Amino acid sequence: MFEKLRFDKKIKRVVADVKENPKAFRIALRSFFIMGWGTLTNKHKFKGMPLVILFTLLVLFEIITSTYWFAPGEIFGEYAPAAGERMYFFRDYGGFFAAGIWGFFTLGKLVLGDTYRGETIKVYDKIITWKSADNSIVLLGEGVLAIILIMIFVSIWVLQIRDAYRIAKTIEATGEVEQWQQFKKKMFDEFFAYLIVIPAAVLILFLTLVPFAFSFLIAFTNYTSKVSIGGQLIEWVGFQNFGTYLFKPEWLLFFGKVLGWTLLFALMSSITVYLVGFFQAMVVESKYIKYKKVWRVFMILPWAIPALVTQMVFRNIFSANGGLANELLVEFGLLEQAKTFFASIGLMGQTHSGVILWFNDTMNGPLAKVMVILVNLWLGSPYFMLLIVGVLGTIPAALYEAAEIDGANAYKKFKYITFPWVLRATIPVIITTFTFNFNNMGAVYFLTEGAPGYPIDMVPLAMRVTGATPGQTDILISWIYKIAFANDPQRYNLASTYSILIFVIVGVFAIYNLSKVKSFWED
Amino acid sequence: MKIIKFIATSLFCSLFIVIPVLIIRFLSLDAGLPLKIIYSLLLASILISTQVVFARKNKYGLKDYLLWILSHSILMVNVAIVLIPITWMVSASFTAGDLLSGVPVIPNPSEWTLDNYKYLFEYRRSSDQFLSDYLKAFSTTLYIAVLNTILVVVLSSLVGFAFSRYKFKGRKGILLTLMGLQMFPAFMGMIALFMMFRQFGLINNATALTFIYVAGAIPYNTFIVRGFMRSIPKSLDEAASIDGASNLQIMTKIIIPLAIPIMGFIAVTAFMTPWMDFILPSIMMPQNETLAVWLFRFNHLTNATYRPLKFMAGALVIAVPIIIVQMYMQKYVVYGLTAGADKG
Repeated sequence: MFEKLRFDKKIKRVVADVKENPKAFRIALRSFFIMGWGTLTNKHKFKGMPLVILFTLLVLFEIITSTYWFAPGEIFGEYAPAAGERMYFFRDYGGFFAAGIWGFFTLGKLVLGDTYRGETIKVYDKIITWKSADNSIVLLGEGVLAIILIMIFVSIWVLQIRDAYRIAKTIEATGEVEQWQQFKKKMFDEFFAYLIVIPAAVLILFLTLVPFAFSFLIAFTNYTSKVSIGGQLIEWVGFQNFGTYLFKPEWLLFFGKVLGWTLLFALMSSITVYLVGFFQAMVVESKYIKYKKVWRVFMILPWAIPALVTQMVFRNIFSANGGLANELLVEFGLLEQAKTFFASIGLMGQTHSGVILWFNDTMNGPLAKVMVILVNLWLGSPYFMLLIVGVLGTIPAALYEAAEIDGANAYKKFKYITFPWVLRATIPVIITTFTFNFNNMGAVYFLTEGAPGYPIDMVPLAMRVTGATPGQTDILISWIYKIAFANDPQRYNLASTYSILIFVIVGVFAIYNLSKVKSFWED
Repeated sequence: MKIIKFIATSLFCSLFIVIPVLIIRFLSLDAGLPLKIIYSLLLASILISTQVVFARKNKYGLKDYLLWILSHSILMVNVAIVLIPITWMVSASFTAGDLLSGVPVIPNPSEWTLDNYKYLFEYRRSSDQFLSDYLKAFSTTLYIAVLNTILVVVLSSLVGFAFSRYKFKGRKGILLTLMGLQMFPAFMGMIALFMMFRQFGLINNATALTFIYVAGAIPYNTFIVRGFMRSIPKSLDEAASIDGASNLQIMTKIIIPLAIPIMGFIAVTAFMTPWMDFILPSIMMPQNETLAVWLFRFNHLTNATYRPLKFMAGALVIAVPIIIVQMYMQKYVVYGLTAGADKG
């Protein structure tokens, strides 16, 4: 109610302002119809000309990419649509923008073999494009691109109308026309920031935002790699994917399992690396250790080795054919004891004779999970050790001295000084680590590739036929990767549906993190 | 008393040396080189214990003494856990044949060969190829890395400068967008990027792939640069602008020279990214593989080219320079993490 009132007031104010300045309004109106016209009338050639050129280029682009000029001749002549046949004008003749918007909303109408306007659709016809079959995915892509370009264009258009109006008002009031020199200086002062941000912004727009938008939209279609281009069309299916895959009980069960493990993995791997890293830092920085730097060089080796290499090497270490883990156990004669131990704490569901199948036994899921977390600990804790060693150096010595005077022992000093100080300094890092691990595809994919799989009778048939079954160590992101790229029917729509869920979950943490950072908006 | 402590400490240190020696004896392995290393370690540990016991006179009570032993044993176990997989990897890369089971538990340098390394530099998939497969992957990756470094440094320093020095319309919005974007993995837009690239014929094009890396790296680096540049006092700019310097001059002559250290950090990070990124190149460049894809191919059990020992050699060749750079970079860890957005 309040919002509406304020909005009404604003409109009233604008209307009143326009009534006062009829001349400026006329100039703004010119800008409304042709971009840059009003600005030119204001005698701002340096600003008006680029706008007019931009406008002309856009119109030209639409016309050049179109075949509007063939339309009358063909529609009323050779290729007249049959009686009652529906004709898609923008599909056949539209330029980049018109055809793009048509394609975005319809995702194509005609496939191979269809009869349309007296012709049969062939695979591809360069001369008369409307004889080509529709490729929905291209249409969607071009549509997203066209819509985003139009949005940018519209915002420039609105800005230049406002600008023309304001300048006309100023000229009317003062009679001064801004000269090129002044404009140049202003440009370099006020718009310098825009100028240097634009290249990066364009890159991010086209290579991050557009793909994100596109992936988001795929979730509302029925697109999989089984859709043969030209032979079938993709359709908008609304929330059907969410209905068929996500919220069906058997899918929901598996999704719950994977999500549960993903959260557990993210939580456990963040906590373990933090605690162990903290412990390492305390030990290596204690007064008993000499040659701290030498010790540290060895301890941070796992951090220096690229994670991808580490994960792949550990995959070999846990290999059932001559991996180091089994060899070591055999060498020390501990293989049977290890098996009994793992079975007794519930990590192994069954014991075979022979070596331990770390990642390949469907009954050994918990064991594989523990190993994934331990490998992540091996390569992750040195990072926190380094970080915490750095933070420890920032604690003022005066604090400890004061505590000693008060008679605090080592434990109390740790509890009341060291730990709170380090924790306060590293909380944002812990949260970042959590979100990183939530999407830490490498930790799972290079190590186990999601193996072991679930026992076959546990997997509902509906899921098995889609080829989208996760493994027991699969986290959400590696599951999505498999759904989209690794498994046979590449279910892009399903992958996108799950991606949206990750967006939501990660987004919650992102917002939380943002709200925590106080100095973020200060300057 | 000192003498007893000294002897006890030496004995304790030597335990860690004696046990492996016993294992080697027990397994009756040929122990020419390792034994020499072990004996020199033994000597070193005795020297260390001398220092510990004699250097700090009278300061060590029994409790300190026990803690000394405890903390050293923890570190030794730690280092052992770190070194065992690494040693095994090195030893595997020098082992002849193609099978993991041929790799001994205790490294045996007398049987080492360079076969796996030779393979890296010699094997060509087709005979008309100038470089070996491995070197070709290496050069592709190098190209991506260099281009990525240049673009990321230039673009993110520009954006970081804009955000640290100017207030302009849409600033908050763009910052929020960047902040949000850096939380999501680039993988999310992969499906779309793949289709876009296929449509424009950019699959297997290294330059196009680089631009994806650049777009992905800008958000995070912007915050790093912004955080650093905010710590450069604004009075410097003001003084320069009173002297008549333009914005461009302030940026290129004052701020950027002062921000060189952080640019070095960004440059190194950007240079490292493509070497160890797998997902993007595996989808975007199936025919023009990068090193990470090469590594994955050789380490993938279901793959026809599964050759773990060649993988180990290939991984080591690339890991060693990276390790050296990372060691040099460790001083940036604390800064890189607490800089930018997380400051507060």
